[in-house]
Amino acid sequence: MGIKYKVNRLETTNEIRPLVDKHWEELRTAKDRGEKVAWASGPTFIFAYAMGMKCHFMAGYSAYCGGIGAGEEVLKVAEMTGDLPESCSYHRLHMGMAEAVARDIPINPQAILPMPDLMVAGRLCPEMSHYAEGLNRRFGIRVLPVDLPSVYNIEDAPRIREFVYRQFKETVIPTVEDVCGKPFDYDRMSEILSVLKKVATLRNQCWEYFKEKPSRWTLWDYGVSIAPVFYMMGNPAGITYYEKLLKELQDRKKNNIPAIAPDGEKYRLYWDGWLPWAFLGKFMRKFTPHGAVCICGRYPWEFFPNPELIDPENPVESWADLYYGNGQLIHHFSPRGTVDLIGNLIEDYSIDGLLMFSSKTCRIMNLSQPDIIDTLDKKYGVPGVIVEGDMIDPAMISDSQIETRLEALYEMIDSRRK
Amino acid sequence: MKNVLSKITDIVSDPYAFVGSVREQTGKKVIGCFPMHVPEELVHAAGMLPVVIWRSNEAVTWGHAHVPAYDCGITRSFVDDAVRGKLPFMDGMVFHVRQCLQAGEFPYIMERNVKPAYQKNLYLPALYPGEAIKDFTITELDVFKTSLEEFSGNKITDEKLKESFEIYNLNRSLLERVYEIRREKPEILKAKEMMQIVWSSMLMPKEDHNKILTELISKMEAKEVIPDKTRIRVIPVGGLCQTIQPDILDLIEDLGMIIPDDDLYVGSRYFANKVSLDGDPIDALAKRYLTKSPLCPTKGVWDIHWGDEAIKKMNDNNARGIISIMIKYCPPHACYYPDFKSKMDKEGINEIMIQVEHEIISLESVKTRLQTFVEILGGV
Repeated sequence: MGIKYKVNRLETTNEIRPLVDKHWEELRTAKDRGEKVAWASGPTFIFAYAMGMKCHFMAGYSAYCGGIGAGEEVLKVAEMTGDLPESCSYHRLHMGMAEAVARDIPINPQAILPMPDLMVAGRLCPEMSHYAEGLNRRFGIRVLPVDLPSVYNIEDAPRIREFVYRQFKETVIPTVEDVCGKPFDYDRMSEILSVLKKVATLRNQCWEYFKEKPSRWTLWDYGVSIAPVFYMMGNPAGITYYEKLLKELQDRKKNNIPAIAPDGEKYRLYWDGWLPWAFLGKFMRKFTPHGAVCICGRYPWEFFPNPELIDPENPVESWADLYYGNGQLIHHFSPRGTVDLIGNLIEDYSIDGLLMFSSKTCRIMNLSQPDIIDTLDKKYGVPGVIVEGDMIDPAMISDSQIETRLEALYEMIDSRRK
Repeated sequence: MKNVLSKITDIVSDPYAFVGSVREQTGKKVIGCFPMHVPEELVHAAGMLPVVIWRSNEAVTWGHAHVPAYDCGITRSFVDDAVRGKLPFMDGMVFHVRQCLQAGEFPYIMERNVKPAYQKNLYLPALYPGEAIKDFTITELDVFKTSLEEFSGNKITDEKLKESFEIYNLNRSLLERVYEIRREKPEILKAKEMMQIVWSSMLMPKEDHNKILTELISKMEAKEVIPDKTRIRVIPVGGLCQTIQPDILDLIEDLGMIIPDDDLYVGSRYFANKVSLDGDPIDALAKRYLTKSPLCPTKGVWDIHWGDEAIKKMNDNNARGIISIMIKYCPPHACYYPDFKSKMDKEGINEIMIQVEHEIISLESVKTRLQTFVEILGGV
């Protein structure tokens, strides 16, 4: 008789939902308090935060919508108002939500945000510009666009870093000053980075418990804990959260409690691409009976893996450097950077197999995935499969396709163990 | 005229053989430039032959081992051609990797599977406000220029570059003249012939194409055409990056419509805007790239509306409707389209959208949609 695997749930992660709900609640009610509201895409919201604006984050809002089960109804509004199903589902979510508000179409009230005073459109991918352009055309929302090129060749990074830094100084800061009617608050930006540095340092200590065999927690646990290292940055509640999480992981180690009962995981997997926010449970139910667990991934590792590089004393320079300078975060969006990153993760976290999630509507992390699998397989002997789907849109998810690919991956791992 | 068109048809019927033969005859290196914004003039001034990368007329096979089925036609088709070894004549490849996400597929796949002697990624910015955008465009063009000099071994002097501008500007003027004649006598060319004329410009040395166009224009000017007043004038819009299936263009005409002008990439968009011969040539190239019209949805422009441009073109040509031709899985067009459609509705313009794929599509369903459209326009 086979082993009956089940997930040992962490207690601390139960505390993230109230924090996240509070964050979005404060954003929803900001205008009632006379506060300015911004929407942001790419890593640009920190400039709005520094000015005391309440700010949304494109992927964060989409994750939240998916997490509260509102994705499907908002996507339906987008389709009804003209968007094509092949367009980026994050793009469609925002157009759908804005149209629902404008046309008074009832949707889950928790999914509704106030229309912004400013859209900070960080063009990490072109779609992050397209949705801002669309909202401007339809609703006249003021747009602050910032071009944020992903860097394919690392030697191109220095000149792109200068370009991005100049946009921060010459366009972003003057515009938020204009919208808020006050000088840019460099001190507040420094404070935000100080808190972020502490949270990311604690988070890295938690990452150490992924390295253990058996792992003490799952990538999905970390996935739901991402907000404090990103759109909740600067909120000291993030420090308390990660201190508690670290303590729980330490206790698990002390008491030899694995993430997967009874004795730990059979397959340690790497997850590539966006986390499938609306389908985390669905995927978990497909992993666990096989003793499979996702340990690490590209998107979740994007959030300041090197907190020692965060320099609160020079906030704007540091922000540019984290992405384009010594931090090189932007390089991980290109296939070359991806190969380097995954290679390191395979070794650091003893990965058995690669699960490459290919979103049918967002290609930012899909690029060259079959070739990346082949490169890594040849170098590390670790097999991989591609699973097609979407972050939010249930119409793009096929259970049988996912199961077939996962079974193929498990079989490949097994055959190489013999 | 028939002979000139026949020559053009031969070229576009087998661009692989044609480009390969030019390479052999001239001894020039061939640089494939991914559509739509790589400045070919720089490649030309380096003494090499720039060709715009094209979509094949074969179904994708091996390419699907490298890119998903939900990438656009030219992405899948070009990868397929490359990994199948159909492009041995292409010494170099240039990709503007910021144009759309799918353009980012190429660099790793090519350097790993094809290994062209020269491969360059451009990071041309979106057309956002601010001096940094302009300066970065110039920086990118300078970096591109230097890399071409290193690969070709030829110095790109300002004089050489301006000579290339003159040749390219002449080609633009000649193509504009062809379009002008077609506007006066739309029956003179079939839509697919017009597309082939522009496509051949993307494949041929511009000097040779200029000669062909000069001959074609004289024949077109001399030719008398009996106007067919029963035909309904329509303007096709879109078709970004790639050629449209000729069958679809034929279908439009077979259903009683006629195309006096277009807003297609393998059409009027390709030759829009000349490069200034005044001042610093790199600045001039940057200025052309930074020009907002014709609006390209890949460039991040929102202070002018694509719909307004299309309506103007429709009115200028006394056309009665617009046919949006969207390449399946083209995110920039797909994201823009709802606002384009709204503009058409708001202004009371008759418009229909048809999606086209790389592979053979169901012409029957397209035909039904176009038949309905022509009936709405008052034809048939």
